[in-house]
Amino acid sequence: MTKRTATTKDGKPVEYVEVPDPPAGGMKKVYFSPDKSYVVAFFHDHQASTDANRIARLDAVLGRFNPTSDPEAGEYWKRLFCWPTGVVTRPTLGVVAPAYPPGYFFETGPFKGKEKKGKWFSSPKLRGYLPDAERGDWRNYFQICILIARAIRRLHQAGLAHSDLSCNNILIDPSRGLSVVIDIDSLVVPGMFPPDVLGTPGYIAPEVLATTHLPVRDPKRQHPNARTDQHALAVLIYEYLLFRHPLKGPKIFSAKSAEEDEHLGLGEMALFIEHPTDQSNRPPGLKPTVADLGPHLADLFRRAFVNGLHAPNDRPGAIEWERALVRTWDLLHPCANAKCPSRWFVARGPKAGPCPSCGAKPPAAVPVLQLRKEVRPGQWMPDGSLVVHNGGLGLHHWHARDNVFPGEKADRTRLGYFALHQGKWLLVNEGLDTLTSPGGSRVPPGQAVELKPGAAFRLSQDPHGRLAVPGFLPN
Amino acid sequence: MPEFTGRRLPIYLVLDCSGSMSGEPIEAVRQGVKALLADLRGDPQALETAFLSVITFDSGARQVSPLTELMAFQEPNLEASGSTALGEALKLLELAVDKEVKKSTATQKGDWKPLVFLMTDGQPTDNWQAPADAVKARKLGNVIACAAGPGADAGPLKKITEVVVKLDDLQPDTLKQFFRWVSDSIKTTSASVAQVAADGPIDLPPPPAKITIVP
Repeated sequence: MTKRTATTKDGKPVEYVEVPDPPAGGMKKVYFSPDKSYVVAFFHDHQASTDANRIARLDAVLGRFNPTSDPEAGEYWKRLFCWPTGVVTRPTLGVVAPAYPPGYFFETGPFKGKEKKGKWFSSPKLRGYLPDAERGDWRNYFQICILIARAIRRLHQAGLAHSDLSCNNILIDPSRGLSVVIDIDSLVVPGMFPPDVLGTPGYIAPEVLATTHLPVRDPKRQHPNARTDQHALAVLIYEYLLFRHPLKGPKIFSAKSAEEDEHLGLGEMALFIEHPTDQSNRPPGLKPTVADLGPHLADLFRRAFVNGLHAPNDRPGAIEWERALVRTWDLLHPCANAKCPSRWFVARGPKAGPCPSCGAKPPAAVPVLQLRKEVRPGQWMPDGSLVVHNGGLGLHHWHARDNVFPGEKADRTRLGYFALHQGKWLLVNEGLDTLTSPGGSRVPPGQAVELKPGAAFRLSQDPHGRLAVPGFLPN
Repeated sequence: MPEFTGRRLPIYLVLDCSGSMSGEPIEAVRQGVKALLADLRGDPQALETAFLSVITFDSGARQVSPLTELMAFQEPNLEASGSTALGEALKLLELAVDKEVKKSTATQKGDWKPLVFLMTDGQPTDNWQAPADAVKARKLGNVIACAAGPGADAGPLKKITEVVVKLDDLQPDTLKQFFRWVSDSIKTTSASVAQVAADGPIDLPPPPAKITIVP
């Protein structure tokens, strides 16, 4: 262990501790700072130091494409991305990046100290080795997926593509429902810097895999881009919510070799295991299915893996995933079975149960608020719903008004909560300025509205304020 | 239809335990296998895909560990004695692969092509040519052969596979580095296995300082 000093591009010293066998990936070897708060990662390839393209890319990634320097939401993005904070040019080219927060290393069990790569949690075999406390409940996986979709949406919004999105480049913490995108320095700036890699097996888009035999400059050769990211994102979300791969089923694509079978089954001939009409790749006894994830996600998975699997332009964008996941989050209901492995299910209607994971039924009918927005004066259209339960996070700005999106800049103050009081479900007002009872009187903070089937009330009298219609899903 | 639980990457370690390995070298091999196992058990890709078997050879050959998933793998008891029956080891390898590795067929998803690490410190003392030809002709798997130490003969190994590496000596540190390279090779292969064309070579990480590739 020797303390060394690297020098940034603008001449500032950066200390790191040299060790004999540093952790290394495919591209870089990594050294920690003396206080372990940041790392310095040097490229293996010594020619990288003189590669003007690579340096220009790093400048772009650290500069104009950097969401963590966003004045309004920079702090938020710092939690979702492990974004590089500097470039060192001596002794060789490298990047400085924050160290991963402690929650992304196993705290207990046989893998204590290992990074929590997504693979540990999405593979049924590996999940079996994990202690319960590390596995997390199902709701936390929805939160992880929301954060991943949001992070990728932000990259795409800026015109960037990740190009190697996979369970290896995202760390997740299911015990707390957190995720962070790592290895940012290989981002693709379309039109400026071609991708370094094809991607990671299992996440490579079918059109990329199907054209790997062509020369790199062949116009038919497909390279990673934002649309291939959209494929990888859909695979990740499917894996984290259902703990299986969407394309790996029993169908034999080639009897010649495992390698050829896999190449075809994930490439040219890829077939969704839940394809609605072609059942040939469907594993026997498959459950739960995308239908159990509720209408918003079922629809997007069909678009990603049926329509868009071989038609990249038809794939849902990251923003659509983010929106559908947020809406599905509002449909989550705690499972009545204390031993249920998921502990949550999507109350998707027309009935609230049973829980697809363990089969338990909710003990009573489940209240749900149908939300409506005013499209023309006096004309209200359905606009999402909110399943009501004691363990819920309550009501927020994005429920009360139709022009608020719960993204990185949203005010997350709770405006109301639900409580079952003497057999009646109540919405208790905490911060809704213009909550109005079904009868038309104002309900100030501190007071409550009773949820009665069909008795609609205004959550807000603002021009974008929503109407809520209580209903009950039979158990 | 049995439930498809994913393809396995079969790993065969074929280790020379002849008398010349006794003392420090065999102890270094034991430590090497232990370190390899610990390293692979911490890698999610390897842990999901890789299955490990150990075949040893001295005056005869034995499969001391059948093909087993990493978490259930028991370290074999390795002792050094006797001569160098490389031919017997290759015949046993062929039998084990036939018995343990699932073939791709029209009705079955097959395992990945096996990865074989063969290490010897001497010259074969039995009839090895025919078994070597058989292993090579059948393309049994991706075979990496290692001529370990000054007494090892790379010649016969070249008849088995194109990929032959040489260790300068049998010092504990050299063997430690060899097993670390084996581990890195397994991790790389288990992560990239789906990208490899059926007949194409696998991509191995560059070997460390004391290991050279025999051209």
